[in-house]
Parts: sequence; structure tokens; C-alpha cells
Amino acid sequence: MPLQLEHPTAADRTGAERGVSEPAAPELVVVIDDDHAMRLSCEKILSKMGLRAETFEDGARGLEAVATAKPAMVVADLKMPGISGMEVISRVHEIDPQITIVVITGYATIDTAVEAVRRGAYDFLPKPFSPDELRLIVNRGLERRRLAMEAQQHEIDRTMLKRRFVTFISHQLRTPLATIYQYLDVLRHLEGEDDAMRMRRREWLDHCLTRIQELQNLITDWLTLAQVEGGTLSRERVRVDLTSVISEILRAYEPTAAAKSITLNAELPDDCLCVWGDRNCLNVLFDNLITNAIKYNKPGGSVMVSGHVARGEAVIAVADSGVGIPEKYRPFLFEEFFRVKDDSVKKTAGTGLGLHICKKIVSEMGGTIDLTSEVGVGSTFCVRLPAWREPDVVNGEQNDAG
Amino acid sequence: MRDDKRILIVDDDHDFVEAISYFLERNGFTVLRAHDGAEGVRVAKMQRPDLILMDIMMKERTDGFFAIQEIRRDPVLKSVPIFVLSSFCTRLPDFEIPSSGGWLAHDMFFAKPVDTAQLLEKIRQRVGVTV
Repeated sequence: MPLQLEHPTAADRTGAERGVSEPAAPELVVVIDDDHAMRLSCEKILSKMGLRAETFEDGARGLEAVATAKPAMVVADLKMPGISGMEVISRVHEIDPQITIVVITGYATIDTAVEAVRRGAYDFLPKPFSPDELRLIVNRGLERRRLAMEAQQHEIDRTMLKRRFVTFISHQLRTPLATIYQYLDVLRHLEGEDDAMRMRRREWLDHCLTRIQELQNLITDWLTLAQVEGGTLSRERVRVDLTSVISEILRAYEPTAAAKSITLNAELPDDCLCVWGDRNCLNVLFDNLITNAIKYNKPGGSVMVSGHVARGEAVIAVADSGVGIPEKYRPFLFEEFFRVKDDSVKKTAGTGLGLHICKKIVSEMGGTIDLTSEVGVGSTFCVRLPAWREPDVVNGEQNDAG
Repeated sequence: MRDDKRILIVDDDHDFVEAISYFLERNGFTVLRAHDGAEGVRVAKMQRPDLILMDIMMKERTDGFFAIQEIRRDPVLKSVPIFVLSSFCTRLPDFEIPSSGGWLAHDMFFAKPVDTAQLLEKIRQRVGVTV
């Protein structure tokens, strides 16, 4: 029953997966050319570019190095004794189709160069060439490779996530449905009309309604997420006054909060807390944060929403006096379906999608969201969004700031 | 219509335990409850129920499987009827033949949510209660 989406720990992930660019090892370029002077100059130029270069005088040795070292790029002369440059191309791609190949060719053999490209070389470099020409072609080739690899990684991530998502979602939908079914089926078969029975029936129907509400929340969140990701939750860029957005949300949740003896407070400027953004998305964002602040609060607690503009950013903090979030969970808090598993919140219903949606919306608008929290004291979510500012007026003409 | 037959229900889904145990109690059974495999084994050994309803995926994904093995090792509980109830699959693989005394020797499998009337009927048949 406790099927959980596996959330990898921070240590499981490489920098690339986190989208963090860590200082990467210099990329390796293998140069295969029978001309000694050519090998030396290529090596010199490539090293100056901050790349690692290894040079080989014939195809056999070069390919051996390609197989063991898996370089990012191979630069090979087309006309060599032994294994021909043309064969080097196919053998390199047999080893790894992601390796970018550039062939070096004399003027007389431009036809062969075209043939080489047809066979999978990325580009060709006619002899003689200047250091700049080599630099340019190497840089372009490496950039193209990076993009291709990134695209491939995204595709893998997307497929995996999709697969996990479908399994997880069906479990999330089926569990409450099974509970509702069971209560109703048992109720249908229960006989008798005594007080105990009536009380039980009422209680169970309430349980069923709660589960149905959870299902509805899940479907709503799921849909919102799909809309945010697919860009169909209207993504217009207009001036949005956050003070009014937030005040409306707070007003709407006043009764819910009062029922839990939680006070809602706001310290918002009357004007100028404005951003360029989409009203719908911003509404979802602050609705989620404020709902959480109420939901994970203690009876008698409080929620404080404060905002100001500083250095071109609208900074909005949603602070609660709730249970707080233990440090070990913080790296995963914004991931889809992540839920804190501590006893303090075990009974609080949630889809595990709310904060993930918040993060998506904030990133979409070019902002950031972060968290400070102390267990037992409370949590503060701080959203920073590029602030709206008066369009520049230059020489009486209005510049379009959007 | 008290028959004093005792049913142990081992399941971590509190709603499920609540619904089924109340139903069984209303139908004259005494119900013992446990919420994970280890607790189930403990209660089974102490109370010697007449029949056990066992969920599979509880604390661990295979909590119920290990509980059944453990129960089968007990000389007295070796032959207690065990019904497996799970939402994890719609049936169990064929190699689990009830009479084989195999590692997952159970008597009946129910996919959750269960057909309440059918569950009651099978329990009555198995523990020898006639209405």
C-alpha cells in the first residue's frame, strides 16, 4: 500500500541532472593525422582552447584511443596510410554515435570531403587552414554535440518521469476509490437501524466525502500542473498587483483559518507591489502557499504574508507558525509528489503537487522561491519575482518594456 | 447469533480495517486487528484466530508475504485459513497452491476493494458457520 515515488537523495545525482553547471573536466579531442607538423599545431591550438588533445599518427592507434577514452570529438585526416579517414568515420560512430567528427582534407579532395560528411562527419576543414578556422569548427562541433546530448537526456528524463507518473497517479486515484467502494459496499450489506448503526453510517459517509474531496484536489492539481507545463494556463504578461491578488486569497480563506483558530495577517504596500505576469498563475501560486501555511499550522497559530519591492524584485514572504520542515526533506520539497513523512503531518491530506506547481510558476516568470524553516516554530516561503516598473520614457516616445 | 469465531485482520489501511471489522462484528464474529506483518504474527501466535485476512503491501512491499511464512512455521497456526486481500494485483501467481504448504500457502485471494457479501460467505464456509 505505501507506494511512494522514489525521490533520489541529493548525493545520487550528478551536477548535470540537477541542472547545475559544475566545473567540468576539459573535453577530449583525438587528432589522427600522419603529418607530424599538423599534429603538433593542432595539439597546440586545441590546448590553448582549454581542451585536452591527444594525437595519433595512424587510424589503428587513433581508434584504439577513441574506444578507451570516448572523446567528445575526433579530427582525422582523410588521406592516411593504413586505415583510411573514411573508415575512421564509420568505426568511430560504431564506438559512439555521439562523437563529433571533423575531417581534414586537401583542396584536391573536396569531393571526398563531401562524401565524408555524407557518411556522418560533422564538417570538413580544407588544408591549409588557419588556427582560427580550426577553433571555429571545433567550437561549433562541440556545441552541437552538447545540445544533442542535452536533448537526449531530456527525452530520457521525460520518458522516465512519464512512466513513474502514470503508475503513481493510478495508485493515487485507486486507493481512495477503493476505500470509498469498501465503505459503500459494506454499508449496503449492513442490516439494522439502531443508533450505533446510524452513527456509524454517518461517520463513514463523512470519510467517503473526505476521500472524494482528496480525489478532486488531486485531479485539480494534476490538471493545473499539466497546464503550467504545457503552457495552456494562460501565460499572458500583464501588470498584476500582488497586493490585491493576495488580499483576495486571504479574504477567501478567512473562514477556513478561523475554524482552526489561525489568524491571517498581511503587511502589503498599498501600491507598487506589482509584477509582470499572468494573473491566473500568480493566483495559483499564492493560493497554494497560503493554503499550505494554514494547513500545516497549529491551532491558535498565525500566517503572515508580507511584501515589498527591493532592487527591481517583488519579494513576498508567506510565513506560518506551523510544524516546520526538517532539513533532510528540504532538497526534495519542490519535487512532484514529494510529501514529508513525519508523524506531525501524516494525517494532513495533500497531493504532493502544490509546491511543485509553485516552483514551476515562479521559474516560468523568471523568479525564485526558497524556504527557511525551523522545526516546531514555522516555515517561511519567500518568492522573488521581477518587479513591474514604469515603462521608460525616452524623448517623449514610449519604449516597450515588455 | 454469536458464534465466537475469531477473525484476525492484518492491514495498514485503517479505513479498510474499520469497514470490514465492523461488518464482521455485526455478523457475529469477534475481530482482532493488526496494522503490519510483525504485529499480525504476534497477535496470531497469542490469540490463535480461526481465520486470518492478510494484506500484502504494508510497511514493506512484501510485509504480508513474510507474515504468512512466519505464521505457517508455527505448528498450531500451520493450518489456519488465510485469505490474502490486496489491491496490489488482481490475482496471485499460480505457483502458490493453497494445499502445497508452500511459502505463501494461503487459502483464497481477494482483490481490493473486496466484494463484501462474497467475503462474508467465504469466511462463513471456511470457519464452518451456518446462518
